[in-house]
Amino acid sequence: MSRLFDKNAIEDIDREKDQWQKEIYQPAEGEEKVFETLSGIPVEPLYTPAHTAGMDYLNDLGFPGQEPYVRGVYPTMYRGRTWTLRQLAGFGPAEETNKRYKFLLKEGATGINGVFDYPTLRGFDSTDPFARADAGRGGVAIDTIEDMRILFEGIPIDKISTSLVTCQPICNISVQSMYFASAEMRNVPLDKLTGTSQNDFLMETVITVAPELLPPRFSFKLSCDAIEYCTKHVPRWNPISFAGYNYRESGCSAAQEVAFVIANATACSEELILRGLEVDSFAPRLSFFLSAHNDFFEEIAKYRAARRIWFHIMKERFGAKDPRSLRLRFHVQTAGVALTAQQPLNNISRAAYHALSAVLGGAQSVHIDGYDEALCTPTELSSLTALRTNQILQLETRATNTIDPLGGSYFVETLTNKVEEETLRLLDEIDGMGGIVKAAATGWIHKEISNSAYEYQQAIESGKMPIVGVNCYQMEEEELPVDLFQVPETLQIQEQKLKRIKNERNGSHVREALDAVARCCEQDGNLMEVIVESVKSRVTQGEISQTLKGSYGTWEPPLF
Amino acid sequence: MKKKIRIVVARLGMDAHWRGSIVVARALRDAGLEVIYLGNQMPGTIVATAIQEDADIVGLSTLSGNHMILAPEVVRLLREEDVDGPTVILGGTIPPDDIPRLKEAGIAEVFGTGTSLKKITDYITGTSLTTQGDYQKST
Repeated sequence: MSRLFDKNAIEDIDREKDQWQKEIYQPAEGEEKVFETLSGIPVEPLYTPAHTAGMDYLNDLGFPGQEPYVRGVYPTMYRGRTWTLRQLAGFGPAEETNKRYKFLLKEGATGINGVFDYPTLRGFDSTDPFARADAGRGGVAIDTIEDMRILFEGIPIDKISTSLVTCQPICNISVQSMYFASAEMRNVPLDKLTGTSQNDFLMETVITVAPELLPPRFSFKLSCDAIEYCTKHVPRWNPISFAGYNYRESGCSAAQEVAFVIANATACSEELILRGLEVDSFAPRLSFFLSAHNDFFEEIAKYRAARRIWFHIMKERFGAKDPRSLRLRFHVQTAGVALTAQQPLNNISRAAYHALSAVLGGAQSVHIDGYDEALCTPTELSSLTALRTNQILQLETRATNTIDPLGGSYFVETLTNKVEEETLRLLDEIDGMGGIVKAAATGWIHKEISNSAYEYQQAIESGKMPIVGVNCYQMEEEELPVDLFQVPETLQIQEQKLKRIKNERNGSHVREALDAVARCCEQDGNLMEVIVESVKSRVTQGEISQTLKGSYGTWEPPLF
Repeated sequence: MKKKIRIVVARLGMDAHWRGSIVVARALRDAGLEVIYLGNQMPGTIVATAIQEDADIVGLSTLSGNHMILAPEVVRLLREEDVDGPTVILGGTIPPDDIPRLKEAGIAEVFGTGTSLKKITDYITGTSLTTQGDYQKST
């Protein structure tokens, strides 16, 4: 046992604290303010050793790089290597985004974080009638392997790590395959590639639903196919990034965010073990993507709690032995939903606080949002300011000098325990429903998230949750101090490329490629094995998606 | 018995963000309106539903940036059908420079990021009272 405090000392402290609270601490008269975290955990006026008296240092906290990894997943943390500066970028046609990637790399970004437009994320070609108005919006448009080749032209993909924000498995299965196939065509062996894809079935079926969805169990299958493929062929690739960030953006509380990513990761692990893989062959490459929202301390507690929960699940439920399987590694994006369209420069300060909480919580990489994101796609200036905010945090604040600087804070440790408790309760509830795939299919997750989103908005509405510039300190007739980004023309360019490609390519190769995909669906084979080859004959993303939907059918998600 | 104000709420095109539209739809329902929520749709389906449901208001939501193409299209199709009303309103991430152009195209009101639910609800109940004189027709 390694109790934090001596029992007698705790009794003394507790007694004195009661006395302090009774006699010295007096809330202002008539004050009925409720003190709680953003997710509704009550917060006391003061935390003392008595709050953490039940904790056992070695079992509950340990040391960085050691079980249970609460204090950090690596022994040296930022003293050894700081977090990756991974600024999200993507818009318009591949030619334009390629320029932005090169700009960010030149300015000191240490990884690429590529985001795709709405049609690409949902597996539609730019020219699909449903897609045309959204081509190039919110990310870069990818229709064929040619776009992928252009996107990474002149970028050393064997040296730099690339995150592909292929949110939906139906996107990932073709876009990720195009990335791998184009690497092969550049003579870069797959085992040299490093990076991450998102590939999260909850993104497809709950969080960012769109027309013509695959049923949850097939979306989940595609996600697992990609993990299995990477485990076998692309060993340094993180084939999934459980997108808690986006769950949170849709309305989740901190505990829901962690519970849903961990339930998702648990389901994937079970499926891959059923397919005959050893847990330690794939678990080291499962990665997580979390939000940094407004409640500074709750966010720090959230990251620490997530690490402890994941460690216990991997070790106890799955019997993982490789330390890399036991570590929850995560990328953070500062909360877009917390940004305001009003007085947009205020968002620079907001995002800086968000990023600080991510770093105090031990994130492996951090993206800071542009200050104009409540208004438009970030401009070059707002992207650069965000990158510089990240660099200031890394180089000037000295927040990196020691590991887990808030470890042992009575408050942060208590909050870590509370977030863990609530997360475990939700995980039990999901297990009771038969797991996350069922919980998505019945609409339960959607309902949970939309309830939380509604409560959040009501709190802003009533003024209970102050948001500067929105429900307090508003300015009348505000002059907008920012230039807005215009998405470059995309549809025409994609239309021309697709027309040319469809003329040039070999029709019978295309038919064979798509037949192979359909056959693989029927035989329940691993689709990525087939699609990495198919994309080389320049089948379009839309053609692959249509083939998948032809085999698996589509699904109507709960709407309201 | 008075007829409830009826609103068709839809997300335009491929826009992925449902949070705003659902929160607004729930607030309107709580305020006593009849809400028909469509999810993602293209202008043709939105207009057909609005006509079929005899909607007083069509509420469009988009954060993807497709508003300049798809929102005016909804108004155009409604006019083509030559129906009297419904009022078309829009919410989401809308750059301020676009708002005058959207209004010119016939969007009655645009609610950007950070708009309070009360403002939207007040607008809708107010509009329906003044411009939809027949909304009180008995059912």
